[in-house]
Amino acid sequence: MKVLVFVVALMAVALADEECDTLTRLKVKAQWIEAYSHGAARHAFAQAIWRAMFKLSPDSLDLFKRVHASKEADHPEFIAHANRVLAGLDISISLLDQPEALKAELEHLQDQHKERHIPDEYYENFGKALLHVLPAQLGRCWDKEAWSHCYDFIVHGIRGH
Amino acid sequence: MLRVLVLLGLAAVMVNGDQYCCSAEDRHIVQDQWDHIWTDTESSQVRVTLGREILLALAKEYAEVNDLFKDVDIAHPEGGKFSAHALRIINAIDFNINLLDDPEALDAALDHLADQHKVRTGVKKVHFQKIGEILNNVLIHVLDNYNALAWKACFKGILGKISSKLQA
Repeated sequence: MKVLVFVVALMAVALADEECDTLTRLKVKAQWIEAYSHGAARHAFAQAIWRAMFKLSPDSLDLFKRVHASKEADHPEFIAHANRVLAGLDISISLLDQPEALKAELEHLQDQHKERHIPDEYYENFGKALLHVLPAQLGRCWDKEAWSHCYDFIVHGIRGH
Repeated sequence: MLRVLVLLGLAAVMVNGDQYCCSAEDRHIVQDQWDHIWTDTESSQVRVTLGREILLALAKEYAEVNDLFKDVDIAHPEGGKFSAHALRIINAIDFNINLLDDPEALDAALDHLADQHKVRTGVKKVHFQKIGEILNNVLIHVLDNYNALAWKACFKGILGKISSKLQA
């Protein structure tokens, strides 16, 4: 029995992707549910992330012209878009512990982003924006390193490199 | 002047006409009840299962739906591809419920979903009507205090708009 537990534990370690390992994923999942919340709070959360993003990368506003992006991120079309993006992130994070489905979702997101030629810098800055707003939602109970590793893992899947 | 006011008032009633079908109270009921499904850490398993059940129930009723979901591997509903898609559908529902308080943003979101479905040849309005019925049946089973009237009132508008650009 002990041997079996040990072997399973070893396998879990081997399967983990670098630093976004099994336990880190569970932590991120739990913290995300708290931060993502619902209704008006989710609204504010989404808006805060995008405002931070546009502050870090003002040029990226151009990419979102079609959905009426602005520094204030307050146009109804953009609010819908901002929420769509977070919903995609929500799916990825929710599936962190279901590897097969996660792989399918990341491939799907990769297809959606392929044509858009998004510079690395935007992905990095979106991560920075996210990691900047999360502690405001979660207070002390958040783990920056865990988030940083799992965000990188997800972005890696979306970018395909 | 009075006539203009009366006309404006009438116009306002007409513009807001469909909102009475999903009142503020209805929206709050729907949002509160949906939260019960959502907030548990392991809710992603529940969500995937719900989405899977809804799509499979639809395919059972309309055989042609199996073809529409071929790319997401509906033949293997437990597999990764279909599981991810099931979660995508449920997240769209979640997303719409959470935008109920912001009619303009909700409208933009539904319009986007309508566009995404318009290009999928073979998707029909009756499919969405059926999804409404299925959702109703599923939620009765998973929610303790399921309020069918509020849900139907709000989802009639949501599903109606998503399917509004379909030909058939």
